[in-house]
Amino acid sequence: MDTEREFTEVYNTYASKVYRLCLGYVSGDEDLANEWQQQTFIKVWKHRKSFKGKSAISTWIYRIAVNTCLGDLRKSKKHVVINETIPASDATDNENERQGEEIEKMYHCIGQLSKNNKALILLELEDIPQATIAETLGLAHGAVRTRLSRIRKTLLKCITNEK
Amino acid sequence: MKNDQLTQIWDSQKKGSPLTNSGRIIKKANNLRKRQFIGVAVMSTTVLVLLAYAAYYTSNHWNDFTLGLVLMISSLTFRVILEFVSLYRKESQLISLDSTAFKDYLKRHYKRRLNINYFITPLCFAIYVYGFLKLLPYFKQAFSTGFYNYILISGFISLLVIAVIIVNGIIKENKFLKELKN
Repeated sequence: MDTEREFTEVYNTYASKVYRLCLGYVSGDEDLANEWQQQTFIKVWKHRKSFKGKSAISTWIYRIAVNTCLGDLRKSKKHVVINETIPASDATDNENERQGEEIEKMYHCIGQLSKNNKALILLELEDIPQATIAETLGLAHGAVRTRLSRIRKTLLKCITNEK
Repeated sequence: MKNDQLTQIWDSQKKGSPLTNSGRIIKKANNLRKRQFIGVAVMSTTVLVLLAYAAYYTSNHWNDFTLGLVLMISSLTFRVILEFVSLYRKESQLISLDSTAFKDYLKRHYKRRLNINYFITPLCFAIYVYGFLKLLPYFKQAFSTGFYNYILISGFISLLVIAVIIVNGIIKENKFLKELKN
């Protein structure tokens, strides 16, 4: 990834996933997620020569993204408010609002997980292969599978309880 | 099936389209690098000038004024260099370690920072204040009462602001370390 063209390709492939990963980390705080996403790719560009290809480029980028989220002292300024009552309006509005509510609930529940578990579930939700997740987080493949199953159960329970 | 519910909810959020483009990221990264280079150049020049100044005055006109000045600049320079080294190390680990190893590194990093925060920083701050106090009699002699009072008041207000910033930083880092341990 030496040239700007190669970096652009990498950026276009991973930027959205990294952004959503960061968004999940900060319970939907778009400003902070956007900043962490930019910091991730600034680091990728800055240290591109230190990438020796020992792992896949995706693993390297996700590592930098997760570590950037993990190592920043700033906290999300956004407080997720769970609204129990949805006012009646037309069907499309209701549907959008319901989806909004659900995703807010999900942010809230993800926010209650430990830092490592957050990274695990967010990478999984972004449809990243479990082998890559294991390498990104430095865990055994089997452990990733077991922990993910536990986290999914906890999340589902959290989301359902708040409905 | 229930597992799919999570994925469905997650996918229902608007697609995270990047707010910027790769060109702007490269530009930002290059500007950052330039600023860091300028920062290091300014710091190195300051250290060199300080060394030359100290070497010249040690043998010729060493007095409390030069002592105060050297103490202020050197304590500040030392603390800034320490901060640079700390940041540089953290970033080099961030890009090379997997997240579990990086989390362990962060715990060690912020434990080391406790030593810096509780011993080195207060010591640097005390030396800086001592250096400033050494300068005051010369300022009193050289400037009008009004200007001297201005230096005195603004100097102490600045020191107070710096102290508040330092304490805030320490509180933030301690909270972060506690979170990491949990």
